[in-house]
Amino acid sequence: MSLIPGLLSAIVFLPLAGAVIVPIAARLAPGAAKWIALAVAAVGLAMTVVLVAGFDVSAAGMQAVTNVSWVEQAGIRYHLGVDGISLAMLALSSLLGLIAVIASWKITERAPAYFAMLLLLQVGMNGVFVALDFVLFYVFWELVLVPMFFLIGMWGGARRDYASVKFFIYTLAGSVFMLIGIIALYLSAGTFDMVELAAKGASGAFGIGFQNWVFLAFFLGFAVKVPVWPLHTWLPDAHVEAPTAASVLLAGILLKMGTYGFIRVSLPMLPQAAAAWAPWISVLAAISIVYGAAVAFAQTDLKKLVAYSSVSHMGFVMLGIFSLTAAGLNGAVAVMFSHGVVTGMLFLIVGIVYDRAHTREIAKIGGLSQAMPVTGGLLAFAAFASLGLPGLSGFVGEFLSLVGSWQSAVIPQWVTIVAAIGVLLAAAYTLWMVLRVVLGKPTETVTGLPDATPREIGMLVPLIALTVIVGVWWSSLLAFVDPAVRALVAVITKAV
Amino acid sequence: MSDLVLIVPEAFLLLGALVALFADVLARGHARAGAWIGAVAAILATAAALWAGQGAPALFVGQFAVDGAAQVARVATGLLTAAFLVWLAVVGLQRGSVRDFTALVLFSALGAMLMAAARDWVVMMLALEVATMPAYVLMGFDRSDVRGLEGALKYFLLSMVASLLFLYGLSFVIGMSGATAMGATKLQPGLVGALAAAFLTAGMLAKLSAAPFQWWAPDAYAGAPAASVAFVSAVPKVAGVVAFARVVLVLAPQAPSLPLLLIGAAVLSMIIGNLAAYPQTDVRRLMAYSGVAHAGYLLVGLAAGGEAGARAALFYGIAYAVPSLGVMLVAATVGNTLGEFRGLAARRPFLAWATVLMLISLIGIPPLAGFTGKLFLFTAAMGGGLVPLSVFAVVMSAVSAGFYFRIVRAMFFDSAAQDLQAPRVPAGAAAVVALCCAAVIGIGVAAGPLLSAISFTAK
Repeated sequence: MSLIPGLLSAIVFLPLAGAVIVPIAARLAPGAAKWIALAVAAVGLAMTVVLVAGFDVSAAGMQAVTNVSWVEQAGIRYHLGVDGISLAMLALSSLLGLIAVIASWKITERAPAYFAMLLLLQVGMNGVFVALDFVLFYVFWELVLVPMFFLIGMWGGARRDYASVKFFIYTLAGSVFMLIGIIALYLSAGTFDMVELAAKGASGAFGIGFQNWVFLAFFLGFAVKVPVWPLHTWLPDAHVEAPTAASVLLAGILLKMGTYGFIRVSLPMLPQAAAAWAPWISVLAAISIVYGAAVAFAQTDLKKLVAYSSVSHMGFVMLGIFSLTAAGLNGAVAVMFSHGVVTGMLFLIVGIVYDRAHTREIAKIGGLSQAMPVTGGLLAFAAFASLGLPGLSGFVGEFLSLVGSWQSAVIPQWVTIVAAIGVLLAAAYTLWMVLRVVLGKPTETVTGLPDATPREIGMLVPLIALTVIVGVWWSSLLAFVDPAVRALVAVITKAV
Repeated sequence: MSDLVLIVPEAFLLLGALVALFADVLARGHARAGAWIGAVAAILATAAALWAGQGAPALFVGQFAVDGAAQVARVATGLLTAAFLVWLAVVGLQRGSVRDFTALVLFSALGAMLMAAARDWVVMMLALEVATMPAYVLMGFDRSDVRGLEGALKYFLLSMVASLLFLYGLSFVIGMSGATAMGATKLQPGLVGALAAAFLTAGMLAKLSAAPFQWWAPDAYAGAPAASVAFVSAVPKVAGVVAFARVVLVLAPQAPSLPLLLIGAAVLSMIIGNLAAYPQTDVRRLMAYSGVAHAGYLLVGLAAGGEAGARAALFYGIAYAVPSLGVMLVAATVGNTLGEFRGLAARRPFLAWATVLMLISLIGIPPLAGFTGKLFLFTAAMGGGLVPLSVFAVVMSAVSAGFYFRIVRAMFFDSAAQDLQAPRVPAGAAAVVALCCAAVIGIGVAAGPLLSAISFTAK
């Protein structure tokens, strides 16, 4: 099947049209906002499915490419395209975008603005994963900040004002360094084109001294987003205060933008610096894994527990990426995908419980399996997927990341051992959470609460299906990812 | 005769100002007719500036020449002035006569247009004065406000000192070169040349409200009617950047210490502007410090040297002026304090979202004008070897998000006090704000035509 030209642009910019139409339509027909958002997100997902179906898995390069001039005078082009890695992320973004709309169905306060922000966020999320011009990439990268700021700040919890501003300034402070890196690469290579820059990086066009400081600039931009310890402190605040749909997208997509940046920019364009920095970054990754898990233990708020577990899981992604091996990179992308699906599920279920119990205190919501059996069962399933039970999607990536890290020539083996302890910790804090929340006698708060509705179960079904499919049949995901990963590893091996 | 075509825009503005002064006689009973006349004059001037194109008329013996940068600055000045006057015509003033106000605005715009095309030191000095003199009066326009008069007086005194510094520097420069043409400038190497360049730079810094000559701005702005601030803080600065860029382009090759001065002023402006803006509760004061900070970013471009830096600086000047004008027009409608902005999202959603758009452009979020401007600025600066300064500037941009977001948080996260009414927003005023927003998006997304129109080399 051949790819329709302009399909990528349509996937990226359809939500923008939706974001413009929603506030106008809501004036004419109150209540129309969510239906338009639903339609836009559904069409977006359908188009992404068409894209996936037409994708040639045997090829490593960019597909569905659009490359036209944008600001010719400054060498900025409108250049879009996907390889297997971007496609996996784009598919995740489209799916979670639709689910986020469904999860927000009961939002009534300033609904038109809410759904417009959700759609605007979708533009940035989709765009980051398909942009192949650096300025365009930066545009999409920053575009997500504004709608996320409003989603947290206007529809968030009690400390939303603080959390939203902290989120915005923290991530903005990181990404402005990225802008410096982009300009430095442009001045050195004379182009903003990310494919050309990757080719130049592979051919050794950039000196190691230059690579080292540009790498640092990009590292600050990406690491805040991931987030890598010790740059993670914005994340728990933002997650806890954000409304459910925003938490899903924050954990599911926005964090992945950071690790995607490492894969798309740091590794191919600055391979020698990446190899030089890898041991240090692997240490930070191991600290993130253990620290996130240890702090998750101590949480009394269920949402905060999931938030800190994200810091831990994203540590595995970092470890896999900077192993600079095919297994590690495949594993990293698999964790990115799986974490998006599984953490999305966890946040949705926390939202279901919170909507009814109005608390997320673990001590107050115990015994869900009796009080709300369906919700409790779903939570247990998501928890098992999260801790990396073999047969579910979480296992694939973490296993491959650790294998890659062990094989790696640049990562010290004790780091892999420390990271592996993180797997045990994850099992421990997750099972302890299941023990307290799902099992046991129902608390007063949850007794008599209605169970999940068909809408709520329905939005979880595709995520459950993906968890099982990817967990059992690894190559359903890795067939897309592997060719791109092997091409990347070949470049790094040659350059280092 | 065809040479005179190039000064038709200025002629329209002058004529418009004079007619506006007598608007009460011409259109009896229409208090705001003067502003409409002024708006038409500004639009005609813009059209004339576009139509007349570029050139160096022989008639003016090289004192006046329109290149790409001058043409862009003239068109931008004309458009911004027209937008401002339409707003004034629709909304009016709380105190004072609209026709006087209009005439002063047009005189200032006239000076700005002349300044953009001035190629002679004396002409530039005179144009600078024509552009700023009316601004003193605009800042003190509300004569019943004692603080306003104090602010206007401070502005007047400091501006005079700046003019004298500039003039003092000029006396050296003209003496050394033996001519008043900027192209013929010859500085002696050594202390005298460096001092002359420093005096000229100091004068320009003060006019641009850049540190260390920024301290007049917050007091003057906070005492002035918001409408005056809207105009003075934004419109004359576009041409001011062109003039400053010309000064730097002429002097920098001959005064090696000049870039250092500019770097110092840039760093100082960014620190003072961005940090002092934080505690402000008056939007006018906040925007005054914001103006200081943005002057700092502009100076990064100028310090980079060469035409690339100058072009980026002018682009950024426009990218600053449009949202700054827009935000102050909103303040003139809504109120001057953060308290009056509270809950604006619920009372006037359109104004609130428009303000958000303009503020995030000032922060430098893509794809808006402020981002594109900063991209060009920092590319020029890093290309000129100013990497640490560029890093400092981007960090300061991130810092600025905090105080701009105080306005956003007031509008969206706070609820309004009980007695706050929804402000009256005539359709025309909303249209002007919408135009500012469209320009902020347009300049950001389609930067190409504007960027290629700006050129400091004569064609």
